[in-house]
Parts: sequence; C-alpha cells; structure tokens
Amino acid sequence: MKKAVLLISMLNVAGFVGPATAADETIAVFTKNQTNPFFESVRVGTANAAKAVGVKLIQYVPIKPDSIPEQTSQVEDAIVKKPNALLFIPVDYKAMVPAIEKVNAAGIPVTGLTDRLAGGQLVSFIGAEDYRLGLETGQSLLKAMGGKGNVVALEGVKGSISNTDRMKGFNDALKEFPNVKLLTTQPANYQRLQALQVMENIMQTHPQIDGVYTANDAMATGAVEAMAAANRKAFVVGINGSQEAIDLIKAGKMHATGSSDPFMQGCLGLLTTVRALRKMPVQKELMVTPVIIDSSNLKQYDVPVASRSCPKLEDVAAK
Amino acid sequence: MSQIEAAAPKFKLTVSRDLTDVAYRLLAVALICIALSLVSDAFLTANNLLNVLRQASLVFFMASGLTLVILTGKIDLSIGATVGLSACVAATVIKSTGSPWLGAAAAIGVGSIVGLGNGLMVTKLRIPSFIATYGMLWVAQGATYYYMSGQSVYGFPTGFRALGSGYLFGIPIPIYLMVAFLVIGYFFTKRTTYGQQIYAIGANTVAARLSGIPVNSRLNLVFVLSGAMAGLASLIYLARLNSAEGDIGETLTLPTIAAVVIGGTSLFGGVGSLFGTFIGGLILTLILNGMNLLNLNANWQPLVTGLIVLLAVWLDMKTRSKTDSN
Repeated sequence: MKKAVLLISMLNVAGFVGPATAADETIAVFTKNQTNPFFESVRVGTANAAKAVGVKLIQYVPIKPDSIPEQTSQVEDAIVKKPNALLFIPVDYKAMVPAIEKVNAAGIPVTGLTDRLAGGQLVSFIGAEDYRLGLETGQSLLKAMGGKGNVVALEGVKGSISNTDRMKGFNDALKEFPNVKLLTTQPANYQRLQALQVMENIMQTHPQIDGVYTANDAMATGAVEAMAAANRKAFVVGINGSQEAIDLIKAGKMHATGSSDPFMQGCLGLLTTVRALRKMPVQKELMVTPVIIDSSNLKQYDVPVASRSCPKLEDVAAK
Repeated sequence: MSQIEAAAPKFKLTVSRDLTDVAYRLLAVALICIALSLVSDAFLTANNLLNVLRQASLVFFMASGLTLVILTGKIDLSIGATVGLSACVAATVIKSTGSPWLGAAAAIGVGSIVGLGNGLMVTKLRIPSFIATYGMLWVAQGATYYYMSGQSVYGFPTGFRALGSGYLFGIPIPIYLMVAFLVIGYFFTKRTTYGQQIYAIGANTVAARLSGIPVNSRLNLVFVLSGAMAGLASLIYLARLNSAEGDIGETLTLPTIAAVVIGGTSLFGGVGSLFGTFIGGLILTLILNGMNLLNLNANWQPLVTGLIVLLAVWLDMKTRSKTDSN
C-alpha cells in the first residue's frame, strides 16, 4: 500500500503523435477513487486529450477510496518524480492543502479540477457548479410536472459541499414554481438502499407524489425501484449522468439526470494544463456547463465515454 | 416458568433469561408501535407494517448469521463487505448467464468461502476474530472494487426480482423467507446438538473443549453460516434494488451488529437468540420508519440507534453481573 501508484494510462506513453515539442511532457493526474464512475470518465477525458496533444500521463488513484494519507503520499511520490505539471482533484478540499503547498514549493505548476482547494497556488481551476446543476436539474423536473403537484427531495450526505449546493439549487428552482408543494426533504446519504427504504416510508404518508428530486443517481434509482414496486409513478430526477440513469430514462422510468460532464472536465483540465505549460493564455477559472440528460437529448450521451472526443487545444481558452 | 426450571435445572438461567429478554424487547416494540400509531395515521396500516417487515428482512438475513458468530463469543466485522462482494459477483453471473440459480449459487458460494476464510484464520492461525474479520473486511472490499472497477451492474430478470419485490397472497416474498429462516434458525439453535454446542462454546470455551465439543469445527461452521447468510442477503439486496456497485457493503456492517446487540445477544457470547435479533432488526427499522412518517430529519437515526445499543449493552451487563453474583 506504501507506494500505491496506479499507472492506469500507460497506453498514453505511446502518444508521441502531437506537436514536436511534446515528446517529454509528463502530467500527473490525481483523482479520488476507482469506485465512482465519475472519476473514471474524468480519467478517460484526460487520456483522450493527452493522446491528441501528445503528452504522457501518470494517473494517481488511491486504492482505498478518498484516502487522505494515500493521496498525500502519492503527491510526495510525484514531487520526487518531477512531472511537468499536476492536474489535481483533492480527496478532501481542506486536508490536501499542505500537500499542494509542497508541490508549489517544488516549483511544479498545479491545475485544480472538480473540487476547489481551500488554499495553495493554482494555475487555473476547472470544475462545475453544483448549485447550477441542482438548479437546472430541479427546473427540468418541475417543468416536467407541469409546474404543479407534490414533490419530495432525497438529500445526500448532510454537510458535504456537493449536497449543500445541489439542494440550494433545487430550493431556488422551487421558488420559480409556486404551485409545486414540497412534501418533505429526507437524507438518504447518497445511498441506494437508504433511498429505497426512505422512499418506501414516505409513500406511506403521502398518497400523491408527482415528482422526486434526488441529489445523485444512486438515490434516484432507489426511488425508482421503490415507486415501481408499489405500482406508483412519478417524475424522478438524479444527478451524475450515470449510464444506469441514462438506461432508466431510455426505459421511461426516470425523467432526467443532471451531469457536470466529467469527461469534458477531464478534457478541459488536461488541455488547460498543457496550454499553461506551452505558455498559451489560460483562464483563471473555467466552469463546465451542466448538461441535463432527458429523453430529448439522450442519444448524444448514450455512447461509451471512450468514444467521445475532446475540444481542440486551440479552442479551450475561448470556451 | 417454574415448571421449566424444575424440568431442566441445568438450563435454568439460559431459558429464563432468554424469555425475559425477549419479553422486554417485545414490550419495547409494542411501546414504539403504540407511540407511532398515536402520532401518525399512516403507521398502523397493513401496508406500512408489511413495508416495515420487508425492510427488516434484509437486516435479519445479515444479522442472523452474525448472531451465531456472536453466540460463540466471536465477531464478524466483514459482513457488509461480504454482502458487497457476493452481490457484485452474483450480479455479473446473472447478467452473463441469465440464470438466477447460478447467481444464487455464486452469492452463497462466495459468502461461504469468505466465511470459511474467517473461520480458518480464527481456528488455525489463532488470530482473534476481531482482527481476522477486520482484515477480511478490507480484503473483500478491495476485491470488490477491483472486480467492479467503478462500474455498476443492473437490470435483472423479472423472475429473480420477485425474490425481493414480489408478493404472494398480498405479502412481500422476503417476509416469507424471513419467517422460514426464523423457524429453521430456532430449531437449529435450540433443538439440535449443534445449536447447544454453539451456546456452550460462547458460555465457556475451555469447558466446552474439555467436555468433548469439537470447538474449532463448530467455529468454522458459524463463520461459514455467517458468510452464507451474507450471500443470501446480497441476493435479496439485488432483487430489491435491481443493481450492484462496488460500495454497497460499506454502510451495512454496523447496523447489523446493532440489530444483534439490541436483540439481546451478548457480545461476550453464550446468551441470546435469533428471535431477539429479529426484534433488534425490527426496532432499527421502526426508528427510520417513524422518523420518515413524522417527517423528522432522519439524520437523528444513528444517534437514536447508538443510544439504544448502549442501553441494550448496559442492561446485558447489569443482568449478567446479577446472575454472576447469584
């Protein structure tokens, strides 16, 4: 476990196809875990972009998901290996600050990705706003309900930033639809089983539920199963844009899933890092537009992540 | 009561304690139910009670195997991780072969193998069960992450899903399974030599060994049963949720231990019952149900669970010191 470095994307070692200057640029990419498909999509995005511009990647992924000590030792490992730059998703936005300060001290540039660090020097930050994601996913649900009826909300882990922002977005969306009644908001901690059970319980007191807002897709699928088992129907939305949610939308069992487009985050993160390395202008901050996947645009997203393509290096600053 | 004491004096303590323990807990369930029915119209409906029992069944399957382990004075911390691994293996087997039966065999097989690993570590390598199964927790979880590599497997045949979400005569199928296992478990623990030996090992391992009980082989058996029941629970999980992913076992272990402890099975071994565990799981489920029905913030659930666990352990220690001083 000590030298827990995963060289997942060794395939990119062969990526000498880009501009002539590129051959010896190496970028270390840090993601949170191997368990969440979100980060797998981020890694595929970085690999795709790296291949196009011809840089080498080293992927660092903690074996124990979201492990602070493990990511810390991986950062130390990277400082020794001296890549040209780091593209960094912190497992914890506060606890990883000291590690990034060490990278700053070593003179290696860092681009932040997905979760914003509370300190340290970043060349640029690429991410998505959970608030907007919650707002637009919520709007999509409330519109589908025709702006009226009863809605329930299932929250993720209370106190986590992602949940706070996604719920804030949803509550602001609710204000735009005064004829929709929020019956209850209950935590299901981003867990499928808890969402199923909480939904089964809520259905006991509320005979009429027209819409269900959940702060991630795992909870959405739990809610879908609970409703289906009771022969009841409602518009259900989730967040993450998972393949499972896409399949449920296709089957007509779920209304929509909001996605912060992890593949695109991976692309833009890597391309921004490369632009900075090659002294091209970069934006201090780049926010990926949320995508609301529903039956109208399903086809576009119902393809394997690996077959999507990144924007061009030259186009990134303008995006 | 006095008749039982006269007929079987050597089991006097066990029998009377079991009965009073269960009676106290039934009383607790009754009080919770009365309280909830007073404050919520939705509580005391056939629909909701079936809903509660169906939810309690998953906890029961995990906790019943664990009860056997705890009765011997050991612990199995790998329960949740075993459920996760069994579920993921079974899910891929069902998806690739289309056969729920092969999936069921895979789930129970994987669970049993993990359980046997735990048992052998405890009996052959002499590793304390707390450490052995704690290590196994990480091994099983790591294997699951590796196996799934961030993907989820979903969409199982309707016939298989009936196991979790189907009904028979208006009653959810998991409830029948729970009752069946409760009855089988009762006979196994109370009416067979195996069962009595499990209690005896927990009450006093040295005495059990001296009186000729094959302690190691019984310990292996309870760990295998614990793993197998975790495998069965994973099938119910799959059938209910229609999906498996790497992290589903992470949050399951502690509530399972809580169900056993609240049910009155002593962590010191030798005392407790499967029926108690059933009630323990029921109490846990009722807490969540009540909070949801009353629209209370369910984040209080862990806190309430913790207080009830402490209360149950305190009562256990109090009665234990009383019987010891007799």
